Amino acid sequence: MAETKRITIDPITRLEGHGKVDIYLDDAGDVERAYFQIPELRGFEVFSLGRPAEDMPQITSRICGVCPTAHHMAATKALDQLYRVQPPRPARLIRELVYNAFMLEDHALHVYVLGGPDFIVGPEAPPELRNVVGVISKVGVEVGLRVISTRRRLREMISHIAGKVIHPVLGLPGGVAKGLKPEEVAEYRALANDAVDFARFTLQVFKDVVLANPEYVDLIRSAAYTHRTYYMGLVDDQNRVNFYDGDIRVKTPDGDEYSKFKERDYLEHIAEHVEPWSYVKFCYLSQVGWQGFLGGGESGVYSVAPLARLNVAEGMATPIAQEAYEEYVATLGPKMIHHTLANHWARVVEMVHAAERLVEILNDPEVASDDLRTMPTEVPTRGVGVVEAPRGTLYHDYTTDERGILTKVNLIVATQNNSARMAMSVEAAAKALIKGGEVSDGILNKVEMAFRAYDPCHACATHSLPGQMPLVVRVRKPDGAVVQEFRR
Amino acid sequence: MTSLGNEAHLAPKELWQRDKKGLLLALGNDILGDDAVGHLVAREAAARLDLNQTEVVETGEAGLALLEQLAGYDQAVIVDAFETSEYTPGTVLVYGVDDFREIVAPSPHYAGLPEVFDLARRLHLPMPEPMKVVAISVLGPFAFGHSVSPDVEAAIPEAVEAVLRVLGQRA
Repeated sequence: MAETKRITIDPITRLEGHGKVDIYLDDAGDVERAYFQIPELRGFEVFSLGRPAEDMPQITSRICGVCPTAHHMAATKALDQLYRVQPPRPARLIRELVYNAFMLEDHALHVYVLGGPDFIVGPEAPPELRNVVGVISKVGVEVGLRVISTRRRLREMISHIAGKVIHPVLGLPGGVAKGLKPEEVAEYRALANDAVDFARFTLQVFKDVVLANPEYVDLIRSAAYTHRTYYMGLVDDQNRVNFYDGDIRVKTPDGDEYSKFKERDYLEHIAEHVEPWSYVKFCYLSQVGWQGFLGGGESGVYSVAPLARLNVAEGMATPIAQEAYEEYVATLGPKMIHHTLANHWARVVEMVHAAERLVEILNDPEVASDDLRTMPTEVPTRGVGVVEAPRGTLYHDYTTDERGILTKVNLIVATQNNSARMAMSVEAAAKALIKGGEVSDGILNKVEMAFRAYDPCHACATHSLPGQMPLVVRVRKPDGAVVQEFRR
Repeated sequence: MTSLGNEAHLAPKELWQRDKKGLLLALGNDILGDDAVGHLVAREAAARLDLNQTEVVETGEAGLALLEQLAGYDQAVIVDAFETSEYTPGTVLVYGVDDFREIVAPSPHYAGLPEVFDLARRLHLPMPEPMKVVAISVLGPFAFGHSVSPDVEAAIPEAVEAVLRVLGQRA
């Protein structure tokens, strides 16, 4: 057995098709092109074919450790449609309860740990401080404890209702596997009220740290982080944000409703473009067409995730979140809001919404009902399920034979929906910030901020041994020779 | 800065109390080829461990979730796949937390083990001591599948022995 004191991970090996930015400079040292590559796991469709569709809520939740609940819920909804069965209202409430708890704890992770350091600590702070430890130093130990303990309590609630957080076993076609007891409702109601306090506190932190700093607001509004694209997201019957269900609404860059469709019709609206330099297929609106990595009404590039959800909706479905939404629009609007970094603020507004929905659901008299399932009786054919994952719209599409054995599987994950706009964001930031060949760590971090705002899911990087996402940035001369390389 | 308001729920000690003293934590994706090796090692080790003393947990999570998994135990072992060009597939290595501080420029935005322990110390959360990582070198696990490659499969017994040795439960 080898015992070593030192470890070196070669990110190049890890980065075959993963977390990679290539920046090409022209003769003057300015950016000619920049390419951002994100990971794609291979073979999931093949892995799934021939299995019973009913296994998919468990299998798809194991695609990655980041969004298990989102995959579980999209898969469960696809099974509802596959078997043409509607869950009873109490079952739907329990699904929504678990889903909103997941959205809240996942968003909190991004605000305080992944994206938050860019603003809370500062985009040009030394790298060793731009992390969660730096955030705690800035906002205080008690806030850190609040983040950790709230997340843990939410995850314990999810585990209690749905099984393991990473392998939920809650969803069944037509319902859920487990209900709530009245005493559990009372216990979770206290947690939900604390969650609302926590979300409001986070909103205040964002205002105090980010909005009170004119430099940060200028950064959010700056051209380097702005694209006029289409937006997509789920809305309820009053065109308000809904994470769990609704119609898919698309708005133009000018804010007009471009389309509104049911999940089963998504293939009539979304197409995929292939580039030779990326494993990821770039989604675009097929009825607008692919014109390249361009914004504007003539280009089919669209965006999902918090910024997009608040753009396609006319408001929030809960009162405190609605107030927060109105302040957000008044400050950065009028709509449409095209600033990529506004995703951070929109994410906090959504935290409030998720927390308030927990309270609403737990105050609903039907949440402790034992009417948990409508038994499927129809022969399965095809089912499509859609949810708003933290990172954007997530589609699961299953076709089966008459026994429910999968014959075709198609998934469009949130980061794939965002891939074209994300590539545009990285290139725009690189072009705006890198001049004369000078690339400092602070500049590089600001380029990274362009994609971090989307909270992209680096599925296979998340389990890398130390729990970090390897990233390599190469700056190249026009002939392709590497002049500078950063590894993170 | 606004007040937190009700601070009664900040971090009650009972939130981090564990029924067992030891933790064996398997990381990785159990349906992603070689990435499953941590899970396979944990399952074999579990058959030989005193489960009254040691909790065995399999997870696909990382980063801050590790803090939530590790806090409260007296001792812990993480077992995981590990991709590197320095070692051939199937090589078994044992590391301490401090070894990871020497990784070249880790991403500041993904909390790795040193950050997790640093954060826990600042928050006065109880973390396991000692804490070791048993790592099995693999080839790029980017395709879904239930099987691990032959070299990696052959390394499982050695990794199991390493886990038992670190936990002080080797027969």
